[in-house]
Amino acid sequence: MSPWLQHTSFAVIAIISVVASLLVVTRRNPIYSALFLIVVFAAMAMAFLLLGAEYLGFMQLLVYAGAIMVLYLFVIMLINPREGDLPDEGSGSDRVFAGAISLLVFCLLQFTISSSPRLAELDAVMPSLPNALAPDHGSPAAFGRELFREHLLVFELASILILVGIVGAVHLSLRARRRPEAETDPATGGGKEVAGV
Amino acid sequence: MFSLSAALYLSAIIFCIGIYGVLARRNILVVLMSLELMLNAVNLALVSFGRVYAQAGQPGEHAGQIFALMVLAVAAAEAAIGLSLLLVIWRKWRTIDVRDLCRMNG
Repeated sequence: MSPWLQHTSFAVIAIISVVASLLVVTRRNPIYSALFLIVVFAAMAMAFLLLGAEYLGFMQLLVYAGAIMVLYLFVIMLINPREGDLPDEGSGSDRVFAGAISLLVFCLLQFTISSSPRLAELDAVMPSLPNALAPDHGSPAAFGRELFREHLLVFELASILILVGIVGAVHLSLRARRRPEAETDPATGGGKEVAGV
Repeated sequence: MFSLSAALYLSAIIFCIGIYGVLARRNILVVLMSLELMLNAVNLALVSFGRVYAQAGQPGEHAGQIFALMVLAVAAAEAAIGLSLLLVIWRKWRTIDVRDLCRMNG
């Protein structure tokens, strides 16, 4: 792929993902947020493919855009929030506060990135990389070989983590089903009776 | 190939948008989605660093990508637990507003 094409596709990916993630955090209806989040994840998968991480790019599409977002959409459809259930978003001062904090973090990150002494060197190294790497870099075979040879313990720890996640999710949803009787509203301290779902 | 700093700046921008979403939004669903956004931004930084430091045939050739795969696993577990907590909260209190959840009394 020619350098010009790579630059252009990275610029397109960057614009798409920034715009879509801004839409994720600003839409009122969570369905729209979830759909725009899928766009962000797909754009990120493209960026991974551009960076030579083929296997990770497709895993990103499968796990994030596939499994996790389907989970989100299922939960949104299950609780089916109506217009009145959606919380009224914060006042202007809350938004300004959150924006100021995130701008502060961005300034810190920007300062850290730009003041890195090795950045210019690494930036110069990047264009010559495709020749420096093996042709199967990032392919499932090369990725799996390294994962199972050198990072086996990490892999096992990740599988334990996911097992704990499964057990925890099942436990939480079973406990909730066992006592569907009415509970009191935490905000008003009583009054609003709730029927089981 | 685009430069490393471009990928890092994109990652920083998306991370900060995620921070804004976590801080500003009241809807738990959107807060969880913003968390996913932040994890994804970190993944992008990890993969681009891994790409820059990768050396063919060396033991750590895919280290950045494997780190990103582990972040993916953590994100999957976090989404499963977070969403089932959200379901429990919805069944008990019929709310998805984080301001209603300021009391920890079981």
